[in-house]
Amino acid sequence: MAKKWGEQMKGWLTKSMNLPEDVMMDLPRITMIGQLHIYIENHRGLLAFSDKEVRLLLAKGQLLIKGQAFTIKTILPEEILIEGKIEKLVYLEG
Amino acid sequence: MNNQWLAFFQGVVVVKVQGQGAERFINRLSRSRVPVWQVSRQGEQTISFSCSLKHIHEVRKAARAFEGDVRFYRGEGFPFLLKRLLKSSGFVIGAVGFLVIILLLSNVVWRINIGGASPKMEHEIRKELSRMGVEKGKFILGLDDPETVQKKLLNRVEGLTWIGVEVKGSTFHFRVVEKTEPKEKKQKGPRHLVAAKDAVIVKLFVKKGQAAVKRNQFVHKGQLLVSGLIGTEEKQTKIAADGEVLGETWYKTTVEMPVTTDFHVLTGRQVQKHLLEMKTLRVPVWGFKNHSFANHKKDEQVHSVSFLGIKLPVNYVEKTYYESEQTSRSYTEKEAELHALKAAREDLQAKLSEKAVISGEKVLQRQFTNGKVKLSVHFQVLENIAVGKPITQGDKKNARRKKHNEYSARKPE
Repeated sequence: MAKKWGEQMKGWLTKSMNLPEDVMMDLPRITMIGQLHIYIENHRGLLAFSDKEVRLLLAKGQLLIKGQAFTIKTILPEEILIEGKIEKLVYLEG
Repeated sequence: MNNQWLAFFQGVVVVKVQGQGAERFINRLSRSRVPVWQVSRQGEQTISFSCSLKHIHEVRKAARAFEGDVRFYRGEGFPFLLKRLLKSSGFVIGAVGFLVIILLLSNVVWRINIGGASPKMEHEIRKELSRMGVEKGKFILGLDDPETVQKKLLNRVEGLTWIGVEVKGSTFHFRVVEKTEPKEKKQKGPRHLVAAKDAVIVKLFVKKGQAAVKRNQFVHKGQLLVSGLIGTEEKQTKIAADGEVLGETWYKTTVEMPVTTDFHVLTGRQVQKHLLEMKTLRVPVWGFKNHSFANHKKDEQVHSVSFLGIKLPVNYVEKTYYESEQTSRSYTEKEAELHALKAAREDLQAKLSEKAVISGEKVLQRQFTNGKVKLSVHFQVLENIAVGKPITQGDKKNARRKKHNEYSARKPE
């Protein structure tokens, strides 16, 4: 109960004080450049990687990226840059 | 973000990971702050990625905990390039050595061309050149520059009027102009011998012709000495008079000699410096010691370096500092007079012909003023005063008359 209450508090604070959500609520910030690049900040690790599919762990749930000819350009603890042809982006609720 | 160039210089390792959960391996790496890039799947169970060489220990550590197979597949970048280069260092040494050899050989005298000279003169020049060090197989850098070679040759080789020296790549070209000394003209036409200057006849040596003067006789300039007309009055024949008439002539000269003179002499101590010059930049190559001479003369020689006959923008400069000393020479008045006299004698001797002899001298006047000795000297000289004078038709009668009355006939002219 306490956790949920805390999160509600955070949500309210962000809304009322106009703060960026990704910082306050531990959400991923995703930047895409057309279909070519996808840049995800605030992920929690790589779950699966192949040239057609990348699965990333998020703070809440998972992110599934589908496409073709994926390569990871850079991977850092909280950032990842994937190159290839991105076709789908799916949030899997955890 | 990491810099690709920095990574290149630090070295890049391409790693292949095989086995279940290769993603976890990459996660572990990224969590331990190892930047990883170019991650791509190679097959069902294989992932390859690149990472910096300096993080190889972390990768190894992570690989120990990983149950799959981790292989360092390939090295890229500067350290690996260097390693390969060292492995094949023979090639590098060869290439550098080749350049060095070509550079050295480009600066060696390969040929000496001498054009326009007779074989004798050519031999003479070659002999002189080898004495100066200009020979096949010598380094051009160590030789004198063309102007100096030219000057030296002109001074040392007899019979040279002009010599052009040119260095083209590794060849010395010499263009020679020889003195063509006119052969002494055979005086075929009939002639008299007349006096070249006022003199007293000391000795007469007539080869051909008829002497018109006697010993101890005073003659004026232009006076007939040996007549080219021989035979009786009626049947005269004209010949080319020949012979030598030694006469005593007089010269008066004045000389000045300072009692004290200051001049610089070289002590023989010298310091050499070698530099490489590029445009305005000069890099010392050898001889870093500075000279400690109070007085010095500087001599600078610039040699250009050529590569395969092409002049490089690099010059090789040789600098030599010679120590000099100022000394002063002072004479006593007596000494100064002697030296002045000697100088006067040498001066006169240089003006006279080779066969002339100074037979006597007399100091007419001596003055000591302003630290100088001033002498006026009278010299007596024995020399050949006979010069040829062709007999022309109109002269014939005059000549005959002169024979009887030499002096008066000539005088009005």
